[in-house]
Amino acid sequence: MRTILLHILRRFGQFVLVVFIGINLTFLIIHISPIDPVEASVSAMTAFSSSQPEAVELLRKSLRELYGLQGTLFDQYIVFWKRILVADFGPSLSAFPTPVSTLIGRALPWTVGLLLVATVLSWVFGNLVGGLAGYYRNSRFLKLAGVIFMALNPVPYYIVAFILLIVFGYLWPILPLTGAYEMNMQPGYRLDFILSVVVHSLLPILSLVLVGIGGWFLGMRALVSNIVTEDYVVYAELGGVSRTRILASYVMRNALMPQVTGLAIVLGSIFNGAIITEVVFGYPGLGRLLVSGVESGDYSLVLGVTTVSIVTVSTAVFLIDLLYPLLDPRIQAG
Amino acid sequence: MLEERKLMRMLKPLAMLVGAMVLGLQGYAAEDVTSLPRNQTLIVDNPEGTIRNAGWFNIWAANGGGLSTGLQQLGMDTFWYIDPDSGINNQVWDNSLASDPPIYNKDFTEMTVKLRKGLTWSDGVEFTADDVVYTIQEHQKNEGLVNWHPAVSVNVDSVSAPDKYTVVFKLKKPNSRFHALFTVRWNAMWMMPKHIFEKQSDPAKYDFNPPVTIGSYKLHSFDPNGGWFIWEKRDDWKNTSLARFGEPAPKYVSYVDSGPPEKRVIAQLNHQLDIIHDLSPEAMFTLAKQSKTLVTWFKGFPYAHPDPTLPMVIFNDQLDKFKNPDVRWALALLIDIKAVDMAAYRGAATISALAVPPTGNYPKFYFDPLQEWLKDFTIDTGKQTIHSYDPTMGQQIADLLRPSYGAAIPSDPAAIARSIGMGWWKPNPQAATELLEKAGFKHEGGKWLMPDGKPFTIKILVEGNARSIMTNAGTLIAQEWKDFGLDASTEVSTNTVIDTRRPLGDFDVLLGWSVETWGGHPDLSFFLDSWHSEFVAKPGERQAPRNWQRWSSPDLDKIIEQIRTIAFDDPKGLELGQEYAKLMVKEMPVIPLMSYNVFTAMDTKYWTGYPNAETDPYTDPVPNWANSRVMMVKLKPTGAN
Repeated sequence: MRTILLHILRRFGQFVLVVFIGINLTFLIIHISPIDPVEASVSAMTAFSSSQPEAVELLRKSLRELYGLQGTLFDQYIVFWKRILVADFGPSLSAFPTPVSTLIGRALPWTVGLLLVATVLSWVFGNLVGGLAGYYRNSRFLKLAGVIFMALNPVPYYIVAFILLIVFGYLWPILPLTGAYEMNMQPGYRLDFILSVVVHSLLPILSLVLVGIGGWFLGMRALVSNIVTEDYVVYAELGGVSRTRILASYVMRNALMPQVTGLAIVLGSIFNGAIITEVVFGYPGLGRLLVSGVESGDYSLVLGVTTVSIVTVSTAVFLIDLLYPLLDPRIQAG
Repeated sequence: MLEERKLMRMLKPLAMLVGAMVLGLQGYAAEDVTSLPRNQTLIVDNPEGTIRNAGWFNIWAANGGGLSTGLQQLGMDTFWYIDPDSGINNQVWDNSLASDPPIYNKDFTEMTVKLRKGLTWSDGVEFTADDVVYTIQEHQKNEGLVNWHPAVSVNVDSVSAPDKYTVVFKLKKPNSRFHALFTVRWNAMWMMPKHIFEKQSDPAKYDFNPPVTIGSYKLHSFDPNGGWFIWEKRDDWKNTSLARFGEPAPKYVSYVDSGPPEKRVIAQLNHQLDIIHDLSPEAMFTLAKQSKTLVTWFKGFPYAHPDPTLPMVIFNDQLDKFKNPDVRWALALLIDIKAVDMAAYRGAATISALAVPPTGNYPKFYFDPLQEWLKDFTIDTGKQTIHSYDPTMGQQIADLLRPSYGAAIPSDPAAIARSIGMGWWKPNPQAATELLEKAGFKHEGGKWLMPDGKPFTIKILVEGNARSIMTNAGTLIAQEWKDFGLDASTEVSTNTVIDTRRPLGDFDVLLGWSVETWGGHPDLSFFLDSWHSEFVAKPGERQAPRNWQRWSSPDLDKIIEQIRTIAFDDPKGLELGQEYAKLMVKEMPVIPLMSYNVFTAMDTKYWTGYPNAETDPYTDPVPNWANSRVMMVKLKPTGAN
């Protein structure tokens, strides 16, 4: 019991350290960025309008006060940590005065929904077909599937996304091109809205699944190919155990362990958003939010999104570390 | 084989599920992007993309929501508009909320505005002088209304309303162009509904959702995630200023984030997007080939609408290496504008030798009258006097393009001059060498050295993929300078980094613009007043927009000071503008290149009556301009379903 407690404490310490270092690094990187959010706003506000020099000077001063960018870097660092500890990232500078937490809260469900479904689908199908391909090594169908997945795997997913757009949005236009739901439809727990969301998510999900499935497939096929030569599998085959049972209980189950770890880490990282997919398909998720924050020099927004991402990935790894000894008795705590 | 069959049996339900889904989706028609009646709905591309704080309509506060979501085009209004092209009914100047042009006192310290009667806000409350007085006074005291608080604070001493339809501004100092604050060129200071904002404890923190509008449309609905905004024609549209031109045709106008250019093209080919804001030249050429329902500003090449903005080579004139006009001229004479035009716009631009955009009414105001002067203009290289202006440069570009684009390239010289441009400077490396030597530069050991013996290096700052047109132009110019033997290269930064570096003068040469004009009106003060030497920052200090070249000249100051003393419509303004254009040629503090072309694509499946250069240039079709509101009364439904 003491060993387990020590293990948990040690891992928790590592978790806190990783989060602390990650957030500090983000703060530093953002603040040494050559982008001045005030100048970005001034530029946007004076790009088309009449811009009297005296008025622009006053505008700069007003924005600096409004954005709370006075004080030294250290002063801003202290304010930043005070806010982080109460999960308040302050107002977004580029969507002033909306709080960053509101923007993240709005984008998060879309990203999580999209990536959760895409990740789980690719994981399930990739592992299932990979497992089958590793076990039924002579199947022509599975060999063909392997070739297709291996061919798709290295293709950058924005290429797949654009091909899907052209095929299903233009040549055979059966799927919507953009957005998360139909124009003029208000979000709500209604069948028409849910259907619209599902239809709008098909292309982005398909682009992610097509590319993502290959990695799981290859990993699982390699793992299963090794396991089928293990003594206990050969013994089971000789003992007349059915092939379906051998595959499910003896092979796949043992091969799944590293894949589960991979899944946990990928699930943690879905909070980063799928930047290109979200941009290409006009999906209102975290990835686009992060990119827009970087482009506009919006310190608060970038810090907010990155902090959420750091915390969730670290939490996923922390949980896996805790669960590992329970899942695999060969791994001793500590 | 047995295993194969087993596998197939396992996969059968999955295949059936996918088949059923595809069949179900067949019922989904590509054009059904909205449940609104499509033949009454105009769908417009919003270049701002997804709006992060979609529910924020307070356009007067800092970074408040989206601007070109239809909010400024259809919901807002102010005293006057100047059209960047010919204007509706050929009237460039439009009295909008005002019934007359501004009335100044003799020394331009007071401006009186007469308001139009019978206008109402979308909630039925009448628009009066009280709204104007409230708007100004609130901006005087509330720093949070940061969009126009600085301009009001700097200019306005007091504002009053002698009667319900008259407003008098008393100014802190003479300003003959004070009305520009309330005159739309893309946007202007919009009027606030007093009866709504006066109830708020802090108007700067009020989201103004839903907005009470003074334009002909009111907000119908919007995507909380910022993807689309739908505006509905007001039942009482007759009580709005636009009603003077007729009834707006579309019942609904939807401004959408339509994604990257490839998607915009697909969406328009599917008739899901009536107006595309902008495309790359290549995407426009593709659309022109594939769409049977496309119309553009120019019927053929270059298709695009030239904005009244002038891309140019901006020298940092405070650097020693660029202080001498001979050096700047030498660099201009090393540019082959035909190659730059091809690299930047694939030839689809309007070239400009003058430091005013060759767009709107400016060919008539500036380019036609100065052609002879340009032809006669000479440069003294120290060893010879040369005429450098080649008036056939536009024609040469047209000839260059004709083999590739055939009939799309105009052949009429007047049409070529209007669409591709008139003349530009002949490349002349010999003259460039002489000018550099005249300036004390030396060519030694294969390198050009400055008079102080240090190597003459030039870095051109460009925006990369964010503005690939300018990046391509900058890259080609650097190559041309390099081919001559100069140590020239490009430096790529994002636009927000450039926003930070540009005011600090942290660059050698910048590909950008510091000239923006009204387009329809010859007055240049919109950008030129800020070029006065009183506003030029010291090296290293922050420069106010728009004199990014940090150039000052006593001759220019005189021109600006004279413009300040005359009325906006005084014919002398055009003379002074032409003096400015000549001075810029002589001094070459920036090298003007071409117009900033916006490849706006309009689909005629559901709507016709879009503006075009040849037969009805009634406004700028680029839909994020507030002036584009007049399109609503000129459009006609085709009746297509």
